[in-house]
Amino acid sequence: MIKKMFIIFGRDFLSSRRDAMAVYIMVVPLIMAVLVAAFAPGLNDTTVNIAMLESDSAEHIEYIEQYAKVEVFKNIEELERRVNKRDEIAGIIPLGDGHEILLQGNEADIIEMYAVLLNSFYELGLTKEETTATMISFGRTIPPLKAKLTNMLISVTVMLSGMLIAISIVEEKNDDTINAVNVTPISQIGFILGKSLLGSSVAMISIIGAIFITGFYNVNWIMIVIIGFCSMILSLVIGFLQGINSDDFMEAAAGVKMLMLPIAGSIAGYELLSDKWQWTMYWSPFYWAYKANDLILAKIADWPTILLCTGLVIISSTVVFILFIPKIRKGLS
Amino acid sequence: MKLFSTYIKEMKIAARGFYFYVEIIFAVILLVILLVAVKEESVSKEAEYLYNDIPSKITTYLIEKDINEGKARIAEPTEFKMKPVTFEITNQETSEVTLYEFEEEKTITVETLEQLDPETGKLTRTAYIIDNEEDMIRLSYSEGKIGATVIMSEEGELTYKYYLQGYETDRLVDLLYILHNESGEVLTTEMDNQVVRKLGFEQQLNNRENLLPMFIVFTGSLMGFFIVMAYIFLDKGEGVIKAFAVTPSAVWKYLISKMGVIMTTTIISSLVITIPVMGARINYLLFLVFLIVTTFASSSLGLLVASFFDDMVKAFGIMYGLIIALMIPAFSFYIPSFDPMWMRILPTYPMLQGYKEILLKNGDTGYVLIYSLVFLVSGLVLFALANIKFKKTLTL
Repeated sequence: MIKKMFIIFGRDFLSSRRDAMAVYIMVVPLIMAVLVAAFAPGLNDTTVNIAMLESDSAEHIEYIEQYAKVEVFKNIEELERRVNKRDEIAGIIPLGDGHEILLQGNEADIIEMYAVLLNSFYELGLTKEETTATMISFGRTIPPLKAKLTNMLISVTVMLSGMLIAISIVEEKNDDTINAVNVTPISQIGFILGKSLLGSSVAMISIIGAIFITGFYNVNWIMIVIIGFCSMILSLVIGFLQGINSDDFMEAAAGVKMLMLPIAGSIAGYELLSDKWQWTMYWSPFYWAYKANDLILAKIADWPTILLCTGLVIISSTVVFILFIPKIRKGLS
Repeated sequence: MKLFSTYIKEMKIAARGFYFYVEIIFAVILLVILLVAVKEESVSKEAEYLYNDIPSKITTYLIEKDINEGKARIAEPTEFKMKPVTFEITNQETSEVTLYEFEEEKTITVETLEQLDPETGKLTRTAYIIDNEEDMIRLSYSEGKIGATVIMSEEGELTYKYYLQGYETDRLVDLLYILHNESGEVLTTEMDNQVVRKLGFEQQLNNRENLLPMFIVFTGSLMGFFIVMAYIFLDKGEGVIKAFAVTPSAVWKYLISKMGVIMTTTIISSLVITIPVMGARINYLLFLVFLIVTTFASSSLGLLVASFFDDMVKAFGIMYGLIIALMIPAFSFYIPSFDPMWMRILPTYPMLQGYKEILLKNGDTGYVLIYSLVFLVSGLVLFALANIKFKKTLTL
């Protein structure tokens, strides 16, 4: 049966290569990983935001840039428009011999204090070398936001790979080839697994590629592969159920849209719910997969927790799959 | 009349399918999330772990001073469970490395101080004051938040030893360095001399309202692009379009009727989300005009793209790429410092801004009307091109 499954996989691979859809689904998470790698350092910049004018002295701008994220504007109108935007940013503009601090008026008190302090430090010619503070570092290099974005990317990859399986099944239905498969020597389970190999492999390759691109080289790769394997099972279940339950692309598209809810809900639940409410998300395999990846990327994962998470993903996915077997058989007949 | 009857027929078919209801259910779920999970005003989650290496009388005095000035309030003590952990810390000045090994799990309850904005009373940061330095370091490491030991020098000055995670930017570290210096009264005088001018802030949307433009654009207007393609490929596959070509009705009427179904779905789902959040505070006529023209434009783009391909699988790459590109302006909408000029040419940029202006109490109606016209004209051009292409490829 395994040989036949791989024949189906090979046929799917050739057919998807012709349409390049598998390549798109594989490449898009990698492009998104490049964007995460490029943008995450900027998003991590949690210092004060200051708006300044091009006409200000280069020395003043350089001084403030050492301590704050500076945006430079051509004229006062553009600067005022920026200060009036939703986020918290203070303006420092030349006024006579000195400078003026410009605020929207609804900023937190600390924004005004930082802007006033920084400009006062400049006027007094203070430097960081005159500090009384000492810095101790834990030596971490990857900001948590980057780990979270990478983890979300993994969840999206699982969903997209499921979509690849679903579309390939809908395509079979439209071409009316499923009935033909029923008269071939391969069993229905073999056909299901064969059809799912492409999407699952795409999920695995994209996940490993995304982790590499985002710079998590020294994570526990054995754990990543185990969770990746679970993700393959998840994408298989998602894709097959969607594909079998959809008669056309419209229904498959609707299914994908509905699937976004448990994925986004599981991520939001894990990140936002307090410890005493986390149990409300225990039903979701996406929650366990996300949790396991979170711990691995933060390098605080231990084997008992990872094995528990993988076990729960496999069990919940298998239970759903078994419950839907009659429907799958019906869909394939 | 033919157009209307085609539209009614399409609506009947859509009402029998799964997708129409999914859109409505999805809108209801988004609404529940907005009303239940999104607070109108954001609550600060910033936290720091402090160990005060100073006489307790002085600590009490400083805390009480902040409370009296409205800068802080005491909250319920917080319990932390600390797992076994091993890590190293490095002194940035001396490069001295210290190893910490904690083999036992430990639970501690710590004093919790909420720091407030004295003007608004809003929570700005939560400080956890821990009784011993080792626990503070362990918590700062395991919770991934900044920690500090506050020390009183022999001269009675407070100095800080910060415990950083290591991924903080140089700018933030330098800011922490310069914030603590020995300038004392000279600095106070200089600060008093600073001129501060407040512009008088413009009205803003609250957190909940601020999510509406994204929901409407990405689940409403932009979905038209994707769904019209799915409809067309479905009908192509079933030969409906070729069958339509031999009827007395024109192809454009068929295309418009498909768009009519999408617009109806989009209007219902967008109103389901918008009405409970905004109530009667917005101009719904303007809202509907903008919603219809933006959906029309994105559906026309979807039609044009669909006219070049035989099925969804072949069109997938271009569709996928376009949807991702059209989603980029959402970053600019939520991160105001990221607003490059090139992004403004993407149609979703004015879509998001347009809905924002509609939702604002004194929003820029002129902006909305100008872009309504732009979307209408571009939608008509795209539709005309799609119609020409369909006429060439679909008629027998």
